Amino acid sequence: MGLRKYLEILKIFIKTQLAWRGDSVIQILFSLTKILFASLLWGTIFAGRDEVAGFTLSSMMSYYIISSFLTQLDMSSKVSMEISQRIRNGTFSKYMVLPVNIQGYFVAMEMGMVLFHLIIYFITSVIWIFVFRIKFVFTPDPAIVAGIGILILLGLFFMAQLNYYLGLLTLKYEEIGLFLMIKDNLVAFVTGSIIPLTLLPEHFLWIMKAFPFYYVTYLPSMLLIGRLKGELGMGLLALSCWCVVLQAVIHVTWQNYRIKYDGVGI
Amino acid sequence: MEIIKTAGLTKNFKRFKKQAGMIGSIKGLIRREYEEKQAIGNLDLTIQEGEFVGLIGPNGAGKTTLVKMLTGIIAPTCGSVSVLGYYPNDLEHEFKQQYAVVMGQKSQLFFELTVEDTLRLFKEIYGLPEEEYESSRDYFVKLFQVQDLMHVQVRTLSLGERMKMELIAALLHNPKIIFLDEPTIGLDAVASKQIRGFLAEINERRGTTIILTSHYMEDIKALCKRSIVINHGCKIYDGDTEKLFERFQKFKKITFTFSEPTLLPNLEFDARILEQTPYKKVIMVPKENAAGLLRELMNLLPTDITVEEEEIGTIVERIYQEGGDGLA
Repeated sequence: MGLRKYLEILKIFIKTQLAWRGDSVIQILFSLTKILFASLLWGTIFAGRDEVAGFTLSSMMSYYIISSFLTQLDMSSKVSMEISQRIRNGTFSKYMVLPVNIQGYFVAMEMGMVLFHLIIYFITSVIWIFVFRIKFVFTPDPAIVAGIGILILLGLFFMAQLNYYLGLLTLKYEEIGLFLMIKDNLVAFVTGSIIPLTLLPEHFLWIMKAFPFYYVTYLPSMLLIGRLKGELGMGLLALSCWCVVLQAVIHVTWQNYRIKYDGVGI
Repeated sequence: MEIIKTAGLTKNFKRFKKQAGMIGSIKGLIRREYEEKQAIGNLDLTIQEGEFVGLIGPNGAGKTTLVKMLTGIIAPTCGSVSVLGYYPNDLEHEFKQQYAVVMGQKSQLFFELTVEDTLRLFKEIYGLPEEEYESSRDYFVKLFQVQDLMHVQVRTLSLGERMKMELIAALLHNPKIIFLDEPTIGLDAVASKQIRGFLAEINERRGTTIILTSHYMEDIKALCKRSIVINHGCKIYDGDTEKLFERFQKFKKITFTFSEPTLLPNLEFDARILEQTPYKKVIMVPKENAAGLLRELMNLLPTDITVEEEEIGTIVERIYQEGGDGLA
């Protein structure tokens, strides 16, 4: 019974996405420009070379398509924006008066948006791979694929937690633009969605492994193109630990800061 | 049965105080000054199950702050509060399951979707069985006469239609208490009257306790047997709505119509002429002198007489200005 309400929230947000047909078409077309840009960039870098840092052009393009796909799937920045905006304008009470776990509401909201975009981006990625005749490199091991699936889900959950936490900080700091900017820049670089982290110095990679972002996009992308297989177990464990720690931080933050909410403007 | 009880309930807000201008902004960056404002002070209140209570007060009086504390949205600074036996700010699901709050300027509906979609969501959130959901939904859809609007996007509804839908969404789970904050704000006279009718029916038929905050005194007068007047965070009146208006109703407006041109004699009784034509005289008189004036002017053989109460806005203004003097 308890889960049904979150399933309904998830469904509501899929329906909300479906209401905007124009948005969906633009998103499909926009993904084309990203692939075109990546083809040009990596085509130039690979000109006259078979390999760069152990990557062939095909494996690099496969990495780029997968990591872009995973990065686009993460809709969690909407969670922090929504919470922050509503706390600032006094309408966060909309969630406080409902008999639901507020974090659960936002996680379900993100899952609804992710599911919708998963279908859209999956279809478009397959179309572009076919159109551009990219030799797609993909791990054949179903057990690894299943493990990666769990890692991706954990990563999405962690990002939802992080953004929920940052949103809650509005209760104390009122303005969290700076926190969000730091997070966005860190995530864009550290998740490896711009360039594979293996192109960076070895010691930098070790530092990154201590942080959760390494496991959110970079590791699943590398695993999906058949690399770093030995790191799957470690990734699952590390990300699970980060989720548990962040959940405890969220609990303490909510208990301490919710009494600061004054709901101004209503 | 007591459903709401507060004792010494107080809420203070801390707010940032900044001098105007660029220098003020820079100073504020280096050294912040805060001031404390009391929104609600030492408020004692008891509301019985099934009551329809009006919360009246000028802007910034503390009405909405009180509603926010009663629903658990904000925590009191001190004092005690119990709603349905719960401390609201604990935000327990069992508590939230038993009340609803409708704020006229805020929406619980999803604008891109239909009302039916939102109601389905609320069905799951409140854990309503299918049969109960359908019977409750059908009851309200019929009551509010919105059968044709259930499958259109919320954003295409008029303000009046949207408010009806907000009420349906709030009432769907048959709450024991409903808090209404300005439910008729921005609505035209017809829609306001309809909403008032629905609320009266819900209070009478379902026994729902209703706490209504409104600047429209027509709402309060038509619906609330009991009124609580709040000003500067303090309760200045708590009692019968009729008596409240009776007490601050100081004048009567009397209109005399004549079949022939008529001149008025010198008026006594502290009467004041508001409008005068050969055939019509409109006179304002203290209510205790109205009978005397009527007796005197009956000698002029008017063909029609209308006795009206003062405009409600004038009475309310008087309540806020004088209300603190020995009313509470």
